[in-house]
Amino acid sequence: MKIISAKEVTKIFSSFTAVDKLSFELRKGECFGLLGPNGAGKSTFIGMLYGVNSISSGNLEVFEMNPKSQARKVKQRMGVVTQDNALDDSLTVIENMMIYASFLGVPKKEREKRIKDLLDFMNLSHKANAPIRFLSGGMKRRLVFVRSLLGDPELLVLDEPTTGLDPAVRHLLWGKVRDLKAKGKTILLTTHYMHEAEILCDRILVMNKGKSVAEGSPSELIQKYCPGYVAVYDQIEKNESVKKFGEKHNFLIQEDRSGIYLRAPKFEDLLKMQEETKTFAAQLRPANLEDVFLQLTGQELTADA
Amino acid sequence: MLETLRLCVQLTKRNWIVYRKDLIANVSPTIFEPIFLILSLGVGLGYFITDIDGRSYTAFLAPGLAVSTALFSSFFESSYGFYIRMTFENIFKAMLTTPIGVHEVILGEYIWLSIKGAMMCSLLAIGFACFGLIKSLWLLPLIPIAGVLIALPCGALGLIATSYVKNINQFQTVYAFFIAPLFFFSGIFFPLAQMPNSLKYIAYALPLAHGVEVSRALFWNENVLYVLGVHGGILILYSAILCAFAYYRIQKILQN
Repeated sequence: MKIISAKEVTKIFSSFTAVDKLSFELRKGECFGLLGPNGAGKSTFIGMLYGVNSISSGNLEVFEMNPKSQARKVKQRMGVVTQDNALDDSLTVIENMMIYASFLGVPKKEREKRIKDLLDFMNLSHKANAPIRFLSGGMKRRLVFVRSLLGDPELLVLDEPTTGLDPAVRHLLWGKVRDLKAKGKTILLTTHYMHEAEILCDRILVMNKGKSVAEGSPSELIQKYCPGYVAVYDQIEKNESVKKFGEKHNFLIQEDRSGIYLRAPKFEDLLKMQEETKTFAAQLRPANLEDVFLQLTGQELTADA
Repeated sequence: MLETLRLCVQLTKRNWIVYRKDLIANVSPTIFEPIFLILSLGVGLGYFITDIDGRSYTAFLAPGLAVSTALFSSFFESSYGFYIRMTFENIFKAMLTTPIGVHEVILGEYIWLSIKGAMMCSLLAIGFACFGLIKSLWLLPLIPIAGVLIALPCGALGLIATSYVKNINQFQTVYAFFIAPLFFFSGIFFPLAQMPNSLKYIAYALPLAHGVEVSRALFWNENVLYVLGVHGGILILYSAILCAFAYYRIQKILQN
């Protein structure tokens, strides 16, 4: 069953096009990543899923329903980890969750148990009676996960779930997302962290300026757009010899303010380059999704586009 | 329809739970300001005004001050309060991911404004009743009506202001040039009859003066049915128009 079906979905805000003919399908049980820099149109698209953004043209179906006209039915089966936490600061963890459980129509008798179970799942039980203002950033984020799961949704939408979190919390959340997927949830994830998408997603759609620029599994994308290995040098000016070597051997070369990237089909080619130019690259590694993005858009993904 | 009602009730419960957390801080300004006003003006200045429309100045002030609480509680809630929830706390964004839709957010807001207006107005009226400022106590249960009839149009005005301001500071301009004059020139402090005609027309073109009339009729047990019919009717009309326009403005911000 198709959980989300988007056909040439377009959103035009007065003069600029936020989402431009976006098409993809999200199948049941899948974790699908929407990748793109800030302003790529990811959040606008997410807004369409829960009916706050209308669609200028194209067709969007969630659970085979129109997410605007049948918003309530769609939202009953969908949980969203919003970009902003938007928790009531003056209330406690439990109070916050009880309010949202009531919005979702969770039967009164079940509310407490469901909240307790989810707090356990997100390792937040010890904070159940703490006011939100005493929670750390990572705890608040975990609580937003709890909130999104209160209605036992089939589809979980994670809108930049780990932005601004420290690596420990990020890893913890990744583990939880995997657990949820194993439990059969279908997941739509937006992120601008390549690594996150690479380890969580079955399939990825790279967006730039509202348009889809590539779609496939992480390994497919790497194979298709960026096969091979990458050497990264931090300082461009000191590494002219490297650049010359790369040009001579037809390596793919990309430069930006942060350094120079050279991609070669084989790892040995890069080792040879180091040897001959008497340099040491800051990194020698297999190509990853970040390289795919650089390749596709000619810009750094994490930069504010 | 039933589900909309259920969600509005849940939203109102949520507002009440948040409000209750800081109950004293939330209630005090709305309740104590009019109490201080009636003490300073009614008892202080009233010493020199022995007869105004045939009553003491304190008795003259009481109904208008009671109903003014509905103006302030609803305006501040729908301006600063709503704006903060919408812009800084992003509460509505999170709510809208649940079965709650934009129309429930706005309808829920109207219910909450009405409850607050009715509550504030009643609290003050009960206080005034203790000092014998209400002629017929059996009219006391009707006081909340005056609160609701002012809270709705004034709250809608606050929402309309919310939809136009570019930042939170601009509410001060709305307060200074609209809400404060509304409070001072709607006949709470002196009879409108002695005002120049032009000012009288302006006062009656705005909601509060009608609310003062309704409140006076109830406090003094004078022409209750007539006043409720005419001024109450006008307030219902204002509420309908302003709430509809506020709905149109706010839904455009919450969904696009």
